[in-house]
Amino acid sequence: MTNLSPADLAGYLRQLGEGALITLELFLASFAFAFVFGVLIGVVTLSRNRLVQAAWRVYASIFMGVPTLLVIFLVFYGGSAMLMTVLGELGSEIDISPFGAGVTALAVVYAAYIAELVRGAIENLPKGQFEGARALAIPPIIMWGKVILPQVMRLALPGLVNVWSFMLKETPLVSLAGLQDLVAASKIAAGATKEPFIFFIATALVFIAFSAATLKLATILEIRLDRGLRREPNARTARADA
Amino acid sequence: MNRLPIDPALAWESLPALLDGLKVTMIITAIPLVLGLALAFPICFARMSERRLPALLAEIFVVFFRGAPLLILLYLVYYGLGQIAALREGPFWILFGSPFGCAIVALALNHAAYMTEVLRGSLMAVPGGIVEASEALGISRRNIFIWVRMPLAIRYGLKAYQNEVISFIKGTAIVSVVTITDLTAVANTIFEQTYDPFTPILCAAAFYWAFVNLIRVGFTLWGRWLNRHNAEIVEVTVAAPVRGTALRRLAGLVKVTP
Repeated sequence: MTNLSPADLAGYLRQLGEGALITLELFLASFAFAFVFGVLIGVVTLSRNRLVQAAWRVYASIFMGVPTLLVIFLVFYGGSAMLMTVLGELGSEIDISPFGAGVTALAVVYAAYIAELVRGAIENLPKGQFEGARALAIPPIIMWGKVILPQVMRLALPGLVNVWSFMLKETPLVSLAGLQDLVAASKIAAGATKEPFIFFIATALVFIAFSAATLKLATILEIRLDRGLRREPNARTARADA
Repeated sequence: MNRLPIDPALAWESLPALLDGLKVTMIITAIPLVLGLALAFPICFARMSERRLPALLAEIFVVFFRGAPLLILLYLVYYGLGQIAALREGPFWILFGSPFGCAIVALALNHAAYMTEVLRGSLMAVPGGIVEASEALGISRRNIFIWVRMPLAIRYGLKAYQNEVISFIKGTAIVSVVTITDLTAVANTIFEQTYDPFTPILCAAAFYWAFVNLIRVGFTLWGRWLNRHNAEIVEVTVAAPVRGTALRRLAGLVKVTP
């Protein structure tokens, strides 16, 4: 059935491996930016200020209502013009790479989803957590870092896992802007060898395997984030036993 | 470059082409939505079946078609299926020979996999006691499914269904890679002709935004219609604290006449 020599196969596999590395880098960089900006936006938009609220609504509505592919194209094609307006002459020197455009677009889009999650989680936190921290005169930075956000992460984790796996499935879109990632490499290999079935199914399996592996990681993370909760009932039952 | 990123003249000029693209996007959304939903029911039954083999096969289907990126699925159907000689000579080649057919197949399979999970989650959310009570009343299994489990499952799963439909609509933007001239493809063509990076893409984005939000409003109205009976329940249990804000909002909207 296949007309691939082992040497050819090894060559294509190396190319696919390089592509997979680029996909992985793109995905991790985008997720890191989206996470940081999402948490920041989620915390900032808790302010009751009307202007902040209106800006958040507009931002969330736009990026949740528009295909990611269009955002990638917009950043890739229009990025240098946008930079020029912001930075002036300096901006015209900067060339937008597909990788940079992809990271920017994915981060901007998914920061909206993560911010929405974080906002929901903070609103579901008992008010006593804030009041208690204030009563103990804990400074705001420590309050957010050590009291509120750890609990928020616990509440937001299922949603974050969702965003994680959804975003993974959208990273191949950047290949349409010309990034030589896993999907682009497998398309080239499929076209050159006339064996599209093998290469595309292998690529799909790589994505599935990666998300399965990270799901395991999420379970471990969940156990770690839940450690504050889990100890309490255990201690109580231990006392009841004694 | 002028200060305004959008060129109104170009936007007006490209409006007919963009509307044509929107029409294609709507068609390529609607057909897979129907096919995928129809496909999701048997797969969901197989997935929930007590027999091992159908459950396993359905699970493999779901894991593969949910886990693989849509772009890969599209490539797989578009480039991969042509490799199978039996298919190339068979009667289905009318379907798989055209980019449109391939896109519909890939999208429908992806949607079916997601909908299987949505359906399963909604059906499992139906309290077991209600099903047992129906069985005790001697209602046949088919009637229990149609008149008891499904109506409740729709209400439990509506939010998940809405999210899936909306992310599916946004996902259809990639069909332009198999030469279908949907909204994204039209915007891209105009960009390539004029080298205006903002006007066509922002106009297309506006159309997508309007389409997505129209669907969102439709789902909200549907949900309100489905829960129209709940207003009375809220009236009765007004002393008890209302749990969801949705219910509270509904109680305010629907006036219950005694």
